[in-house]
Amino acid sequence: MESQFAKYKAIGDLIVSQGQDFVLSLIILVVGLIVIKILTKLFRQMIGKFIFRPQMASTVSNIFFVILLLIVVASALEQAGMATIVIRRILIVIGLAVVGLIAVFRPLIPTLPFKVGNTVKFGDLLGKVEATTILNTRIRTFDGKTVFVPNSKILNEFVINYHFTDTRRIKVDVGIRYDQDILKAKQVLETIMIEDPRVLLKPARPTVYVLNMADNCVKLGGRCWVDNLKYWTTRCELIEKTKLRFDQEGIIIAFPQLDVHHFHGDVSPEFPGEEI
Amino acid sequence: MKVNEALKVIDDGWVRKPKGFRVHFQKQVDSEWVTEYAPGEKEKALDSDVVAWRLAWKLSEARKSDKSENDDGDLVNIYIVDDLGHPIKYYASNQFEVFNRREI
Repeated sequence: MESQFAKYKAIGDLIVSQGQDFVLSLIILVVGLIVIKILTKLFRQMIGKFIFRPQMASTVSNIFFVILLLIVVASALEQAGMATIVIRRILIVIGLAVVGLIAVFRPLIPTLPFKVGNTVKFGDLLGKVEATTILNTRIRTFDGKTVFVPNSKILNEFVINYHFTDTRRIKVDVGIRYDQDILKAKQVLETIMIEDPRVLLKPARPTVYVLNMADNCVKLGGRCWVDNLKYWTTRCELIEKTKLRFDQEGIIIAFPQLDVHHFHGDVSPEFPGEEI
Repeated sequence: MKVNEALKVIDDGWVRKPKGFRVHFQKQVDSEWVTEYAPGEKEKALDSDVVAWRLAWKLSEARKSDKSENDDGDLVNIYIVDDLGHPIKYYASNQFEVFNRREI
């Protein structure tokens, strides 16, 4: 009973002598965390103007956050009465442990097949990766929606990363009527692609193929390569120019149609075996 | 002649691939006509003639005036030039076109 009383008395003495320091250290910790959050946000906005690669900007601001966090934690512990040398040792041990854990388990952690800023598609979702966390990925679709996708779902899906390669091939398919000049149409389509500054000569020069002799048209296929980031606008503009230039050159684009031939009883069939 | 050499001849002589496009226009400043470009000559040129012609058309619509006398800020003789400063044909008509044409 006496020993219990002595214990309570010791705690009481500690609170009287060190209580103020504990409260102060707690305040430093709470206020410090709030200030860190604000400063990191400001820092992120500021470096966003100088560093244009989102991944690098994110890494730099994370490092900034960790440094500030260490300073705040060290200050709080020092205020609580812990010796500076002890704080340093604890932080070094924690740092080494984290680095060691990451080095050991990094190969076992599944990585996402994209980086922040990449344009990706999985399932029906197409958009730009804005941020990734351990649990989910934030995607901004091109019509302005923000979608949070669980990483587990991404890892189980086919993912198309449009930034993985520098270049991408454009297909400009157009069907012309059977009575049109194929060679002229091929030449016009090839010229449209070649004269566009965005169309590249490598990995392959622009080419036009006769793809198919379909039910109602001869199908031509223009193929050319462009920078991945210019794919969409170049494709749309090449299609626009193809329609306009074909009109100017008098090349008639085919449309789906069905010719019905009606024979009267007194007319003999045009082809042997044809029923009247 | 090797195929590579033949391809080089074709690249140089068949269809010229412009390196960029600018909108050319003349602007009245202090009763004098000044030739300017958008984007400016020190800025990076546009890589799309479609975008350049669209910009030219919007500029001409924005500064279109029925008045016979000229005002400061008027933009006239608007057309597209390539990286060498040569006018290019309007892709929609395959003709050389000038928006807000005015004899100066």
